[in-house]
Amino acid sequence: MKKTMLYAVLCAFLAGSVSMCGKSKKELHIYNWADYMNPGVIEKFEKENNCTVVMNYFDSNEALYAKLKAGAQGYDILFPSSYMSKIMYEQKMLSEIDRSKLKNLKNVDTEFISRGLDPSMKYSVPYMVSYCGIAYNKKKVKNFTPSWSMYERTDLKGRMTLLNDMREVIGAALKFNGCKYNTTDDMELQKAGETVIKWKRNIAKFDVDEAKRGLSSGEFYLIQAYNGDALQLMEENEDIGFALPLEGTSISQDDFVIPVNARNPELAYRFIDFMLEPVNSKENMDFVYYLSPNKEAQKLMESDFMTNPAINPPKNVLLKCDFLIDLGENNIKYSDLWDKIKSAK
Amino acid sequence: MKRSKFPLFVTAGILVFFYLPIVIVIAQSFNASRFGGAWKGFTLHWYSRLFADRNIWHAITNTLIIAASSTAVSIVLGTLAAFALYRYRTKLQIGHNMLIYLPLVIPDILMGISLLLFFVSLSMGLGLFTIFLAHVTFSISYVAMVVLGRFQDFDYSILEAALDLGASWLTAVRRILIPFLMPGIAAGGLLAFTLSMDDFVITFFVSGPDSTTLPLYIYSMMRHGSPSVINALSVIMIALTFIIIFISKKLLEVRK
Repeated sequence: MKKTMLYAVLCAFLAGSVSMCGKSKKELHIYNWADYMNPGVIEKFEKENNCTVVMNYFDSNEALYAKLKAGAQGYDILFPSSYMSKIMYEQKMLSEIDRSKLKNLKNVDTEFISRGLDPSMKYSVPYMVSYCGIAYNKKKVKNFTPSWSMYERTDLKGRMTLLNDMREVIGAALKFNGCKYNTTDDMELQKAGETVIKWKRNIAKFDVDEAKRGLSSGEFYLIQAYNGDALQLMEENEDIGFALPLEGTSISQDDFVIPVNARNPELAYRFIDFMLEPVNSKENMDFVYYLSPNKEAQKLMESDFMTNPAINPPKNVLLKCDFLIDLGENNIKYSDLWDKIKSAK
Repeated sequence: MKRSKFPLFVTAGILVFFYLPIVIVIAQSFNASRFGGAWKGFTLHWYSRLFADRNIWHAITNTLIIAASSTAVSIVLGTLAAFALYRYRTKLQIGHNMLIYLPLVIPDILMGISLLLFFVSLSMGLGLFTIFLAHVTFSISYVAMVVLGRFQDFDYSILEAALDLGASWLTAVRRILIPFLMPGIAAGGLLAFTLSMDDFVITFFVSGPDSTTLPLYIYSMMRHGSPSVINALSVIMIALTFIIIFISKKLLEVRK
């Protein structure tokens, strides 16, 4: 009986794999973050192109990289953050973008992209951008100024948090001191470390999830947070505000990229082009609540979306922001400094 | 003499430790706040979101297919391995014992990467089938270990007696060996099923297009999704588990 069960299972698998090959519809395999694209737009694409879009999910850029590097295949479009796209491109894991196949590429805000890691869109097309900033409780924080100097305020002692992320925290201190986010200069880093240690005496802790919960419930008054998280908090609690510090902060961007071993690059191009169409890009923005650097689509957005500082920060601040870059060997400088900060009293 | 209250406190403490988190998950699944912080009012919103999300159901189907099939196969192979380990004590079996033991101690990430490299070098397409193979690989060891424990109490002469009295090998196995091992097989099977249900690391590496399982989906939701939907899903799974346990207990009582 057990044996028949074994055979039954094997047969079922064989039947499954055979029937998969027999499908006449084309399949597009996408490797994405969960809940990061409007399902309605995807259905529209499926109908227009008579194909099936199969979504797969990863949970971190590093995991995505490790998996593809080891040789996993079968994905047509990936959504890494731009620092990871850069690494993957340098390691020849991504194919170069053929601009002739993307007639909607003209919609992309080239001015914005020119500050990014792939300014000429050689291997990536931008999807959404996000920022790191300060979320705060408008009622509890008096005289709020959008500046990293808030972390010096002793009246908020024990009511503030910083992210538990070395690059973002040291980066904030670097910006506060007027340096760049990706610096590898020892003096600058040392000074930033001193700044963070000073802040550390003022904050409750370095944290991500507890901080969000704490801000929502009133335990914390001011937290360092990503704009997407801040927006969700603001939706629930009117007292919460968000601002990008005037000194500048970090921007990150998620890209569309096509891996070299994509099975269906033609369809992948059509998908990217479809998502760059203003109407579709708008629907995605409405769904995920991030800004897409798509000029034409931004014109379609409602005005309160575009004037929300948590979605579309003012230009003058934006100019001071930096894209995070993977520093390779120099990462150790940051992790050493982070250890020092963590152990400092 | 007065009885010490200490055991009572320990029991109560352990019960709280085990069940309080579950109670919190149940409560939060009805919380209108999506961060699970302060109570923002009662809602069934997360349940309706859950039932409307076809991606989650697709992931659940994948998870159940893999858990059921890998459990079935690893029960058979694991029990056979345990029998071999119990019955034969040759040098080869010492090696076998080590091989069975190894997956229990190998870190998941190592196993995941090496399986992925293996599948890629065979140029096998990644998908449900490779996840199934990977899950069988680690489940066999757990089943074999649990069944082997059960074998320690088994008197082989009973089986020999049955054979002496004219039972065929198949009858002896079916009427004596399997009923005796059943608690071990069931325990091993349950263990394999749960391990397969919630394995993330290995599954992540060996999964391919269109084979997202529930753990993969949940981890990926951490960035943009709503954990509250997952709370709702957990409540349904907890309820199902309790119902199944309740029914199986009832059935056993009737038999007695």
